Amino acid sequence: MTTERSLRVGEGLLGGGVLALGIFIAVETSRFEVGPSHAAVGPRLFPFLIAAGLIVVGLAVLWQGVYGHIAHEGGFELDWLAVAFVSGGLIAQMLLLELLGWIIATTILFIAVARAFGSRRLLLDAAIGLALTGLAYIVFTAGLGLNLPAGIIGDMIAPAESATPH
Amino acid sequence: METLAALGHGFTVALTPINLFWSLLGVTVGTAIGVLPGIGPALTVALLLPVTNNLEPTSAFIMFAGIYYGAMYGGSTTSILLNTPGESGSIVTAIDGNMMARKGRGAQALATAAIGSFVAGTIATLALTFVAPAMVKLALLFGPAEYFALMVLALTTVTAVLGDSLSRGLASLLFGLALGLVGIDLQTGQARFTLGIPELLDGIDTVVVAVGLFAVGETLFNAARFRFEKEEFYALKGSMWMSREDWARSWKPWLRGTAFGFPIGALPAGGSEIPTFLSYLAEKRLSKNPAEFGQGAIEAVAGPEAANNAAAAGTLAPLLSLGLPTSATAAIMLAAFQQYGLQPGPLLFESNPDLVWGMIASLYIGNVLLLVLNLPMAGIWVKLLKVPRPWLYGGILTFATLGAYTLNNNVVDLVVLWVIGLIGFGMRVLDVPVAPAVVGLILGPLAEQQFRRALSISQGDPSVFFTHPISAAILITALLLVLVPLFIRRRQRHADLPASTPAESA
Repeated sequence: MTTERSLRVGEGLLGGGVLALGIFIAVETSRFEVGPSHAAVGPRLFPFLIAAGLIVVGLAVLWQGVYGHIAHEGGFELDWLAVAFVSGGLIAQMLLLELLGWIIATTILFIAVARAFGSRRLLLDAAIGLALTGLAYIVFTAGLGLNLPAGIIGDMIAPAESATPH
Repeated sequence: METLAALGHGFTVALTPINLFWSLLGVTVGTAIGVLPGIGPALTVALLLPVTNNLEPTSAFIMFAGIYYGAMYGGSTTSILLNTPGESGSIVTAIDGNMMARKGRGAQALATAAIGSFVAGTIATLALTFVAPAMVKLALLFGPAEYFALMVLALTTVTAVLGDSLSRGLASLLFGLALGLVGIDLQTGQARFTLGIPELLDGIDTVVVAVGLFAVGETLFNAARFRFEKEEFYALKGSMWMSREDWARSWKPWLRGTAFGFPIGALPAGGSEIPTFLSYLAEKRLSKNPAEFGQGAIEAVAGPEAANNAAAAGTLAPLLSLGLPTSATAAIMLAAFQQYGLQPGPLLFESNPDLVWGMIASLYIGNVLLLVLNLPMAGIWVKLLKVPRPWLYGGILTFATLGAYTLNNNVVDLVVLWVIGLIGFGMRVLDVPVAPAVVGLILGPLAEQQFRRALSISQGDPSVFFTHPISAAILITALLLVLVPLFIRRRQRHADLPASTPAESA
């Protein structure tokens, strides 16, 4: 159970993040080198406005997190392990994509997401994942000319040609 | 009249076999994603953007429009049969629709939703046919100052009208605007916020942000909540047909729902949720048996379902004639126009009448196709709902990562996707609306351009926004639309009425 206090901390982090983003933008913008001809309406005006807005809103959200109403007062049930599974799957895919090819990397993602949603049938999930990713691979590379890293399985299905994507 | 002639020409475009195919594909996909939880029209169009690069723009937009309409039809199926709405426009449908399903009247609920959607969709498309050219004539009076004011109106209303908290909506909006700043400033060539990373010179891709917020963020959130939310499924049983009484009680709500949906969808006031709430309240006030509301009154399904379809048509009016998106899906369609190098507005009607009128004509066809898809074929969609959630979300992320990666064949995009997904997850947990960020990302750079153009024409005089009467009127309206709900909400909190927090999916 994610408690109200954690949620308020989260809201505080949100406010703090927004505030920090505003300050960052303001600082970065003041460091732009601007030519003399664009005094009032140059590339710095909008960023400054947005930064000002972010700072004000960041403070407002911070205040709300500490003193005001937040969503789900009384805590909110969140399964953080599930979140970890999905994140883990995405990270695994990122790292393994160009190494093992799209089909295998995305199947790993598929299995991880299925596990996040409570599925315990590893082999079945792997089979469905392979079928789906394999099908998508064929349709999107052969059918639509997109470029996905072939990897081991890709080379078995469609040996890599030196075709240039458009 | 020249409008009818133009529409007739549009039909010749829409009725070609290839465009009929795209229309059918669009409405079928649209219905499917409307039915499925976790995925909505905005996300789908975003995912299709890289894929449709090689398509004829006319065909692509016929498909996108079909998806948009289809999702409004399909969303009612999930609302009625499952206790979770498929689209934000179907939240209200779930109230009485689900009750009807529990009482064994699910088929009638689906029927009134489908037929009402057809009636509303057709009437609203007719309205679109005439309103869009009229708005174009209005738009010819607009200069940069007026366009800027309109964009401010769109941005403020998307932010202020949805959700409970103005500050959270603004946080979302400003975050989107900030993301939009990244890249090369077009007017001076100055690189902004690229942090020395060359990939960022082109800006942060809309598709990655939209897919990250909608697909990854939603999946993370639904994964986190999955163990705690029970999905109850009510199978269709009994007679499929609506009784005479059902018809008699449905037809006026259909018409009233359309009347609510189209104008509000066309105004920069936040899409399909508000007309559905208004329709529900209106039907309750006008009903002969208001006590039945909440227990399965058919009017409470008929009206709101008509309203959300009419609102979808309404959204297309300012999008096509002014280039102004009034919902997240419309914002993504605007990005699609940009991808083809097209600028919606009066120029588009002049230079690409085939595309505009072909798209509008295809909506009439689409409505008919959707009626057939949703009424007799409802059973098929019901089966679709039974896809096990682990595989459904696995599939969603498969396509999400495919879409993000194939933009630039760069793993960096997947990293950005994940980070934005985490942000989207955080936003959902903290009840920060997601739509303002997407609209801000897309509209922000455009608004800035118009702002600076207006100022350079007026030689740096900022009062130009208020000395032009149209611009001033629009900005004042924007201010009122922000302040008035604030006052109403303050009074609601004191009167202890239930406030509504719509979930984002459109």
